[in-house]
Amino acid sequence: MKVAASEHAQYNPHALLPKPVSVDDVLNSPMLSDPLHRMDSCVVTDGGGAVIIASPEVARRINRPRVKVLGHGEAPKHTANGHIDLTYTGARWSGPRAFEEAGCKPADIDYASIYDSFTITVLETIEDLGFCEKGKGGQFVADGGLRARGGKLPVNTDGGGLCNNHPGMGGMMKVLEGVRQVRGEAHPEVQVKDLELALVHGTGGSLGTRMASATLILGVEDA
Amino acid sequence: MTVSEKTLPAPAPSVLPEVKPFWDATAEGRLVLPKCTECGTFIWFPRPFCPACASTSVEWVQASGRGTVYSYTVNRRGVADMSAYREAGVYVLAYVELEEGPRIMTNIVECDPDSVRVGQKVELVFHDTGQGTALARFKPTGGG
Repeated sequence: MKVAASEHAQYNPHALLPKPVSVDDVLNSPMLSDPLHRMDSCVVTDGGGAVIIASPEVARRINRPRVKVLGHGEAPKHTANGHIDLTYTGARWSGPRAFEEAGCKPADIDYASIYDSFTITVLETIEDLGFCEKGKGGQFVADGGLRARGGKLPVNTDGGGLCNNHPGMGGMMKVLEGVRQVRGEAHPEVQVKDLELALVHGTGGSLGTRMASATLILGVEDA
Repeated sequence: MTVSEKTLPAPAPSVLPEVKPFWDATAEGRLVLPKCTECGTFIWFPRPFCPACASTSVEWVQASGRGTVYSYTVNRRGVADMSAYREAGVYVLAYVELEEGPRIMTNIVECDPDSVRVGQKVELVFHDTGQGTALARFKPTGGG
């Protein structure tokens, strides 16, 4: 996850950590809280963004590639009265709601922005959203699944929170790169070809206690 | 590495009136759990109503103090925005599943942090905050 993010970040002139790293670099970085190393953790930066949502009539008057919101889902997860289960996130509920509204399935998604406070956040989320079988996320990632070039599911082509930036509200950054991808305005080295559908997923709170998940599915105008 | 050379801080909690029985018991070295008298559900975190059936009829039941490690991490860098923990050194943050059922967030102490394992049996110890309360933590059963 970190390696893929760093490979993408080299094409982002604004990325805080634009240098590609290897798996060994990650494993040799200082251990913070087992099993998470420093390089498993996001950067800490300021940042900001804005999204304009308009009616189709207004949107057509603007001379830019248009992005359609096709589906969304939200879900909180709590400690379940002392029976917390750390093996999944709220994405297991927010994802299906978004897919149902959009009328598509995980295999249809061409690009995903996945909130990445830590590498484990991405791993649990891609499993919970159904991009791979539960428990098989590690293999999915190890096989290069998240890479912009050749990956089954290119993820965070701006370098994500792990390499690009991480202001407090990381979800906004995820939407921005999702919109760039759908518009075909990502960096040419990481732009997904023939993209029709993109997924954006935000995670809030703390995975270890109470948290919330939000999933958005975006598409090209005629999707 | 052996037992962490530093003592884990024991910052005092803010005691809300509705959970005062919980904190008063800790000062006596007892861990008490709220239990719904209507449906029998153990309640965690402590609160004066039942999240399962919404009853406000809650009794305080003493826990056995025995449990198993559900999950844990060895924190090696303290916590930057909590002054008491900034210099805490290496310590274990864990969820312990009590015999009674609830999984509670706590620390595993009095052991080599690298020896802690999921499923390990642990037992209750209290760390006095010096302000009329104590923090429930756990150590490996039988001294490790």
